[in-house]
Amino acid sequence: MAEQSAMTPLQKFLYRLGAIAAVVLVIAFLAGAWLLGRFGGDTAVAYQDDPEHFKYGSLGSEHEFGVPYWIWRALPELFQDKLPGARDGWQSVGFVFEKGKKLPVGMSQRRYLGFDVVWLNCAFCHAGTVRETAQSEAKVYSAMPANTFDFRAFMRFLFATGEDRRFTPPDILRQIKLIRQREGLGDLPLIDRLVLRFYGIYYMRERILALRDRLKFIAEQPEWGPGRVDTFNPLKAYFNFPPDKLAPEERIGTTDFPSIWNQGQRETLKMNLHWDGNNVSLEERNRSAAMGTGITPPTGDRPNLKRVAGWLRNLAAPPYPFAIDKARAAQGAPVYKKYCAECHGADGKDFRGEAVGKVVPIDDIGTDRRRLDSYTYDVAVNQNLIFAGYGEERFSHFRKTFGYANSPLDGVWLRAPYLHNGSVPTLRDLLDSSAQRPKTFYRGYDVYDQEKAGFVSDVAEEKGRKYFRYDTEEPGNSNKGHEGKRYGTELSSAEKDALVEYLKTF
Amino acid sequence: MAETPKKKSWWKSCLLLVVVLAVVGGAIGWYKFFREEPQPDWVTATPDMRFKYGSIGAEHDAGIPYWIFFVLPRMFPEKLPGPGGLASLGVAWEQGQELPIGFTKKVIGFPRVANNCASCHTTSYRKSPNENPVFVPTGPNHTLNLQAFFRFVVDCAKDPRFNADEIMREIALVYDLPLLDRMIYRYLLIPITKKRLLEREAQFKWVYHKDFPLWGRGRDDAMNLTKYFLLNWPMDDTLGPTDMPSVWNLQKYQPEKGMLMNLAGDSHDARSVIIDSALGLLSAAPHDREDFMGQIDWLVKYLGEKQAPKYPFPIKEDLGKSGKAVFDANCATCHASERTGTRVPVEEVGTDRERLKSWSKKAAIESNKVVRNFGIERKGLVENEPSGYIAAFLDGIWLRAPYLHNGSVPTLRDLLKPVAERPKVFYRGYDVYDSVNVGFVTEGPEAQRIGTKYDVSERSSGNQGHEYGVNLSAAEKDALIEYLKTL
Repeated sequence: MAEQSAMTPLQKFLYRLGAIAAVVLVIAFLAGAWLLGRFGGDTAVAYQDDPEHFKYGSLGSEHEFGVPYWIWRALPELFQDKLPGARDGWQSVGFVFEKGKKLPVGMSQRRYLGFDVVWLNCAFCHAGTVRETAQSEAKVYSAMPANTFDFRAFMRFLFATGEDRRFTPPDILRQIKLIRQREGLGDLPLIDRLVLRFYGIYYMRERILALRDRLKFIAEQPEWGPGRVDTFNPLKAYFNFPPDKLAPEERIGTTDFPSIWNQGQRETLKMNLHWDGNNVSLEERNRSAAMGTGITPPTGDRPNLKRVAGWLRNLAAPPYPFAIDKARAAQGAPVYKKYCAECHGADGKDFRGEAVGKVVPIDDIGTDRRRLDSYTYDVAVNQNLIFAGYGEERFSHFRKTFGYANSPLDGVWLRAPYLHNGSVPTLRDLLDSSAQRPKTFYRGYDVYDQEKAGFVSDVAEEKGRKYFRYDTEEPGNSNKGHEGKRYGTELSSAEKDALVEYLKTF
Repeated sequence: MAETPKKKSWWKSCLLLVVVLAVVGGAIGWYKFFREEPQPDWVTATPDMRFKYGSIGAEHDAGIPYWIFFVLPRMFPEKLPGPGGLASLGVAWEQGQELPIGFTKKVIGFPRVANNCASCHTTSYRKSPNENPVFVPTGPNHTLNLQAFFRFVVDCAKDPRFNADEIMREIALVYDLPLLDRMIYRYLLIPITKKRLLEREAQFKWVYHKDFPLWGRGRDDAMNLTKYFLLNWPMDDTLGPTDMPSVWNLQKYQPEKGMLMNLAGDSHDARSVIIDSALGLLSAAPHDREDFMGQIDWLVKYLGEKQAPKYPFPIKEDLGKSGKAVFDANCATCHASERTGTRVPVEEVGTDRERLKSWSKKAAIESNKVVRNFGIERKGLVENEPSGYIAAFLDGIWLRAPYLHNGSVPTLRDLLKPVAERPKVFYRGYDVYDSVNVGFVTEGPEAQRIGTKYDVSERSSGNQGHEYGVNLSAAEKDALIEYLKTL
């Protein structure tokens, strides 16, 4: 016996200990490798086709704001009562779904931290729909203003879910299970459920409520309605300026989403971009806008953003899809040349003109000044710090201006309602003096008004879905300005009709 | 016996390893904490740029790590005077520039932010509210709330949220620091910065004096830094906030003719003033004396030659000409004569005396000693008791509002009124220019929102004295003011 076991009890013990340690190490290593494989990695769902990439490709906003895909699916079902009209899922806040797609236009997906997470890209504000009649199918146009999307309703819903006592792991996981069963899938894998149950859902709720608190000032603004956003006040929230200390006149800056096609020519002609013309650098403007989707300087997906920017550079505005009275349009051409071309460019393709892209002083243009005043010198200089540490990427082109910039009119037919705040429903209305323009009208409806060029603006409700009543009396909503002889509001009715017809060719 | 050589070689390898580690560690340490990188070329491209953004070496001891400096306004906006981040402090911040004028960024191991002369000595004005500001280097920064700035950084450090977790989380939102830098920030820079800023609370305790009114925008209790920080004197009961001065055209001061500098004639010559002010910015003896003296020489030349800017509105030439006669008869004896640049006894000029009490012969003697001990030779501070205020040169006087040493009179037109008629309460620090009264707009909703309230009844803020020219006719006053615009 003594010969057989040459080891003392201590050596034996150490030997065993060593063996156990080795096994534990191997297991730990394997577990580590598995966890890394399961929760490491960062890959966006990619699209070969540029237009698809625009609509569904990722800019990297999921890194900071990503919502696990299945929670995204569960929210509108679990909290249906919090949706506008308590129906229609995400469509109720104006998201556009293409046939066969589970995610709306403007939402991208990425595998990050072991989950499929989704959040926004450019298209959620810059893609919209048009219907010829109430019965026709909606056609999606990329890079047009998101005419149906109600950003504020979307946020309001999100915040309401975070405040609701049903925002708990059991409720949300149960809803996910229901949806997955309905689609013939089993329940989520155990590991996913565990992470969501003990961390993910609490964390998400905390983030929703933090965002709600940051953006609290928005609640005091008049309703934006679909197709509009306050661009620069949220930036003040990003900088953490105390909103209650802001000057009253800078607290509202609601504007229409712009169209974003044909960016290249704008850059070449060195136009002042944004409604108030506060930045001449297209590249900087793009990254600034991308921050609106939720990217941060460390988390933005630069190659993907560059790809979108490159595509938009030469993207042509979609041609007017309905009949154009060519003879009448021809009569409108000289009117345009005489009254509009200097500020708005030679035509819809050639943007050259003496004052195109230049800022017109507010007293000359006379439109609502809230948006102008919402962008202050202090915001401009604070923007100089955005992308600091990233060399040439640091913002350095933002400037406080004192008026609104003249924009080319490419695809103007799709850019209704008009003026920076979207206060005039159609082109034809814009050619009337402000006294004659509609005092109230409806936004968010996508049937096209071929006579006046714009969206039909007198439909309050269709099939139970309510549209937004825009009141020009609300602060920031004035429809005054861009009027008088040189703005064409004193033309004859026939000339105005001809001009509108001509503008359809842009 | 056989083991000895083995042991020896083992020790040798160990020693070698230690040496290698020490060298590598030392190299990394040097690189990460002491390596000095020159500022980028654009900073020194023109003399004005160098004055505005060039380092004078303050980053060594007074520098704040860049990313901490970056996130403070976002983490602690409630400690700032208003919305707007750093801009709410009234710093002169040019569009497109990463940092405000007078804030220097320099890599010493890691990027640090400190200040130079331009933070207090660059001013701005707007000709109308619908216009962006024009910045004038060497002008008096009438918008800067220096006291609020001093307090801000210390208040941040005192807040429990000034900790590695919260600061690192905020930095992660704006910049992806490499791992090693993250460790350095977390375990060294954040705790050290917190400690240094907390020490500042004791060193700068005068900015927290409970019984004293706030300085408001555009003013500094200027002798305190020397008295309390350089000399480490206990806090006394004096209060003497004065207007930031313009520092252009310093060659006009000719010490050989008995001229003195600073508002109360506390210093012998421009070079001494520049050295003392720069030492205040460094908060310590110069790290590299030779480099420091080189900076001083450059500043002496730049500030000596830089001229006051021209009045930016139209001037009625004829009226100005007739104003010259009024000036010669009423003002020239002090402001364009042998007497200019010399002390006028306070009994004679009659302006607020508090500022004089904030300085003393003893302070001058001791300060001169300390600076000499740094190995710096200069004519230095005037070793006698302050007894009056300097009769000012009036070059660029249009941009030096508000007036008198304590900035108690908003415009030149107000200064030509008897004390009883001068404004008793007004708002300082709003940058829209008032070309009618010559000065800045100090009333109205915007001036009130942006400016700080100035009340002449507060201690050291009296607007009495210098009741000269108050009996001129309205026409004469108009002419005189028109002439003053041309200076």
